[in-house]
Amino acid sequence: MLQELNSPVLYLICGAIILFVAVTCVIFMVRAYRAGKAIGMDPARLRRTVTSSMTFSFLPSVGILLGVIALSGSLGTPWPWLRLSVIGALHYETQVAEAAAEAVGIGRLSAESMTPRAFSTIALLMSVCIMWGMVLSLFFNKRYTSRLQSRESDEKGPEQKKGEESRNNARKKAAGASFADTAMTAMFIGLISAYLGSYIGGFVSGNGKFAFHGDITPIMVCLVSCVVMGLLTAIAERKNQIWLESFSIALSMFAGMTAAVLL
Amino acid sequence: MKEIENGVNREQYLAKYTRGTHILGRLCTAVTLAALLGAPFLIGAYLGALPDLGAAAKAFVSVGLVWTVSSFAEFLIYTPMLGAGGGYLAFITGNLINMKIPCAMNAREIAGTKAGTPENEIVSTLSIAASSLVTIVVLAAGVAALVPLQPVLQSRTLAPAFDNVVPALFGAMSYQYFRRNLKLAAMPMLLMSVIFVVAPSLTSQTSLLILPSGAVAIGLAYLGYRRKH
Repeated sequence: MLQELNSPVLYLICGAIILFVAVTCVIFMVRAYRAGKAIGMDPARLRRTVTSSMTFSFLPSVGILLGVIALSGSLGTPWPWLRLSVIGALHYETQVAEAAAEAVGIGRLSAESMTPRAFSTIALLMSVCIMWGMVLSLFFNKRYTSRLQSRESDEKGPEQKKGEESRNNARKKAAGASFADTAMTAMFIGLISAYLGSYIGGFVSGNGKFAFHGDITPIMVCLVSCVVMGLLTAIAERKNQIWLESFSIALSMFAGMTAAVLL
Repeated sequence: MKEIENGVNREQYLAKYTRGTHILGRLCTAVTLAALLGAPFLIGAYLGALPDLGAAAKAFVSVGLVWTVSSFAEFLIYTPMLGAGGGYLAFITGNLINMKIPCAMNAREIAGTKAGTPENEIVSTLSIAASSLVTIVVLAAGVAALVPLQPVLQSRTLAPAFDNVVPALFGAMSYQYFRRNLKLAAMPMLLMSVIFVVAPSLTSQTSLLILPSGAVAIGLAYLGYRRKH
């Protein structure tokens, strides 16, 4: 069965979809770069955005590749390759594939028990379960982002009007506009806090409540990458090495991951 | 108003750009969606067994509903962070929490743009497109070299490194975000630590706890804002 799941036809089907998504990314990237230049953004800053995003994404991508390897033993290589290149999420794929294997009656997810029908059903379920973000994006992205934008332009509009009342209004609403930026930062701080809290909880109560015998590696990794990030930021700011900003996250992550091996 | 090209001013240019983004975004999302749903049937036809729709429906009820709810939350929370173009791309390419959102936030820091501005929309789109392309290239190269790479990537020595990609990422980003917002970060950090210490089984549901944690942080940020203005 694994031989059939690794056949050239499957590579062709999955590869074609991945190629389409890659072309989509290139088109979006070129359009955004041109638009940025046209509205007067500094091209060097735009290029730095691209460089930093690329270096930033390299190590997590290698982690995702491990997901492909992990699933390739039971689902062949082409399908996990597709799933993790397009809308997939590392933590999601294995969980859904396991549940689907149970539902189709093959028990555990394994190459020995895999049948053609089980495979096509698992593949369908993996697509259906995670497609809702795309469905919502398809139907509501325009309306949602337009509403957010019109709220901001409403807030900027009255500034041009004269008179004390409209100036007060403009001040209040401009405060609202800049709060949107603060809210985004706060939401992201909430996201980081949830993950850091889970590492602390895992260590303190992971092996029995308040036993302090859980896995300490994630906390140490966090600390190392945080300290290295601090050092790199200080060098970039004090020595005016702006180029370093593009690589600081990737280098900090590398230091944290190296610490995990050494610990 | 400053002219950009052929008598078109900045506002008109951006309106045209946004219209184009939505047309392109919708088209590419629809095609990808159709391809992803069609692929299992196409593969099934090739293997000689189409998907069992009854079993798929049963499994969807047991696991899929949770992901559906979380997809709604992700769409509502992350679209304002990503903007229109970034939103379309991020939902097509996935790995939002562990890669695309931190990547877009990092790009925003580097470019110094504010949420909700056209500049931020452009930076976000650039960063997510670049990030997605790196993932596609790394996975393609990895799949092409799977046989020689497998022993290296799956070696016991390197296993802890790859098990800790997310802690390494959030460790670095915590410095970037906490150093300028220490007071704001203290409460959600404390709250989440207490929750996970008291109920350690929730560690498998961390992504669901982002919502209350984010709500607390936004609430505190709002209170701070009210005091200043």
